[in-house]
Amino acid sequence: MAETPEPPTQRAFDGIKSIEDTTTFVGLTYDKLDITASIDRVRSPKAGAVVAFVGTTRDNFEGKSVSTLEYTTYTPLALRTLSTIINSLKSTNPTTLHAISVTHRLGIVPVGEDSIVIALSTSHRAEGWRIAEECLELVKDRVEIWKREWFVDGGVWRANRDGGKGVIEDGGGGDGEEGGVPVEYLEQEDR
Amino acid sequence: MASTFTVLYFASAHTYTGKSEDAVPGPMTIAKLFPYLEEKYPGFRKKVLSSCALSVNLDYVDLVEDAEKEIQNGDEVGIIPPVSSG
Repeated sequence: MAETPEPPTQRAFDGIKSIEDTTTFVGLTYDKLDITASIDRVRSPKAGAVVAFVGTTRDNFEGKSVSTLEYTTYTPLALRTLSTIINSLKSTNPTTLHAISVTHRLGIVPVGEDSIVIALSTSHRAEGWRIAEECLELVKDRVEIWKREWFVDGGVWRANRDGGKGVIEDGGGGDGEEGGVPVEYLEQEDR
Repeated sequence: MASTFTVLYFASAHTYTGKSEDAVPGPMTIAKLFPYLEEKYPGFRKKVLSSCALSVNLDYVDLVEDAEKEIQNGDEVGIIPPVSSG
C-alpha cells in the first residue's frame, strides 16, 4: 500500500538555533535558508574570496521519483558537531580562512529548495574552494541530521556513508553494514 | 531524583519504535541497554541498532570500550543511526 507523505513534522523550535562567535556561525532552521545572510555573515576586509555552496533537494533517487523530502535532527548534538567541524577547519587554516557559516534546513523541504548553505571567506579563491569542499564532506559524514525521501510507494531514511543507498533491499545477510537498514522497516508509518 | 534515564530515537529508530523517546529505569550499564531495547522492541537490534551509535549526555560512547560504564538516572541517551545531511 502506498503511503501518503505525512503532514509536515512538528517544528521543534521557531527561527534559527545557532552557535556563533565573531567569525563562525552554525545554524539549524525550519525556515527557508537565507543565502544572502550567510554570505554577508562571512564578509571580511582580509578576504579576496567568498565561496558559497548551496545544496538543493533532488526530485529523484536512482531514477525513482521523490515526492517529498524531510530532515530531522538531534538539535544540540548536531549544533555541537557542526561547531567542532568549523572550529577544526579554522584551526587548520588559521591565516587563510577568515570566517565560515553553515546552516541546514529541517522539516519538509520542497523539491528544488535549499537544504544546506555553506559560506566562507578566504584570502584567495583556491583555498576557499578546497575548504568549502572539505567542510561539506565532513558535514555529510558526521552531523546528526537525517534525510527521509518519500517515493510514491513509501518513505526511506537515507544514509550518506554507503554511497547513498542507505537501505539493504534483501533484508538479510547485510546486518551490521554501515547504513544498512532493511527497507521494509523504513517504510513503516512513522508515528 | 529521577528514577529513569531518557532514550531518544531518531530516523529509522524512531520509525521502528514509533516513539521519539522512552523513559528507562536506571542505572544500567551500556552493555545492557541494547538487550533491554531488543526485549522491548523485538527485532530492533538486528534491524536498526546494529548500525547505530550511542551518545550519553551528547558525548559518544564506545559500545565495546565503555560497555561497563553506567548510564545514570537523569541521563539523556541518543540512539544515532547513520547520518544523511546535506
